[in-house]
Amino acid sequence: MECVVQGIIETQHVEALEVLLQGLSGVPKERVRVHELCLKSGPNLGVVPSEVRLLCDLAQPTPSWTIRHVGGAMRGAGAEQISVLVRTIVESKASKNVLHYFYTLGYKLDHELLKIGFAFRFHRGAQITVTVTSTNKMPRLHATDEAVPVTPGIQLVEITAPAAADNYNDVVSAVSAFCEYLAPLLHLSKPEHSTGIVATAGAAAASLMSSGGGKTL
Amino acid sequence: MPPVKWLMHWHPSPGATVNSQILSEACGCAESLGGSKDGRWKTSIFFYRAMTRDGAGGPAGQQHPDLPRELLGVALHERPGLYFSIVRAQRLVLQADAAFPQVMEKLQSYRIRVALNFEGFQYQLGDFCLRIGKCVPNNSEALRGIMMEVEYYPLSSIEKSKAVMEDFFDIWQETVAKKSLPGQFIHVDSSFSDYGLSDQYSCQHTAVQYATCLQQLMAAVTVRG
Repeated sequence: MECVVQGIIETQHVEALEVLLQGLSGVPKERVRVHELCLKSGPNLGVVPSEVRLLCDLAQPTPSWTIRHVGGAMRGAGAEQISVLVRTIVESKASKNVLHYFYTLGYKLDHELLKIGFAFRFHRGAQITVTVTSTNKMPRLHATDEAVPVTPGIQLVEITAPAAADNYNDVVSAVSAFCEYLAPLLHLSKPEHSTGIVATAGAAAASLMSSGGGKTL
Repeated sequence: MPPVKWLMHWHPSPGATVNSQILSEACGCAESLGGSKDGRWKTSIFFYRAMTRDGAGGPAGQQHPDLPRELLGVALHERPGLYFSIVRAQRLVLQADAAFPQVMEKLQSYRIRVALNFEGFQYQLGDFCLRIGKCVPNNSEALRGIMMEVEYYPLSSIEKSKAVMEDFFDIWQETVAKKSLPGQFIHVDSSFSDYGLSDQYSCQHTAVQYATCLQQLMAAVTVRG
């Protein structure tokens, strides 16, 4: 399982966000360059349609592949109350022939994206990962060198934390608490409840950049 | 780099069957060569079948022509954190980690129909390790076959180890022949290059050998429980 919230931020404020995240996390940022391929089952395959994502980490000297299955979100009155999405997730590392493998099994490429940006991974009540990326599309199949932003000027911020059935409440609390620190710059919510950019972002960013980091908002 | 390994399976003589006495005799041969028993081992193989909306995993005749008729999953005893999946018809071997079966379970596009275990004792014999085992369906004692692994610790190159492995195989054959059993062990010869595998031995080579071994076992053995 994982807990996840998302938000968007204008590209002009990303540097300020990085300063803030650096101060809050105390860890160095990691480069993110992930080629994400979304595959869907062919017309007759499976009792129900299925979808699987293949992630190729291009930031490493040798690209590495991960298979990712995103499951359903937790439902019910309890789930409605909390501001963080809790969903099942299964991931597995895989050898580089994994795309060919799934094609052989009858899956087809639905779409592909290139996510470029940075991430901070740290522990603050839970193991939290904050990823800030621009989402890019490719004009030709797998042409990652020719990728262009889908929404120039806007980047996606995603906060995730792994959770288990017996601790997700604590993880939700940790993620929610961390989101409060970012509130002046961006609003984070469940992925399906996007709220747009935050009015105070400009002033907050200016404050962060003028102090050169290390200043609380 | 993992040491090189040969798989062998018991090929019964025409009209003969596989039974547990052969397994006992093979273990006796390992001990007579000076092998010291030092534990048990188990490798599992899973047969997946495609689930289709117009046949929902029914008889093979309803299988969609573009989908693989046979998809194997292999969990090796020596690497519990890894999982391998093989599409033999395409000479494709995927290496993944132990969470991979959960992905397949979530996708529900392929389901496990049969699970087989290869299990038995292992013997240390100088620079060699012998693992002699039976092939049985999961949760059953019905004997489907007998096979063994011969691992040679000093070398990882398949080509360089060929001579020493052939010499060992000859000694093994002679030792087993003295028992006058109705059959013999046969080396599982896999075309590693067809799977894109190199001369340096790896767990992917082992997974491919198990897939080939299984195919040969199914073709050769008359079952007696």
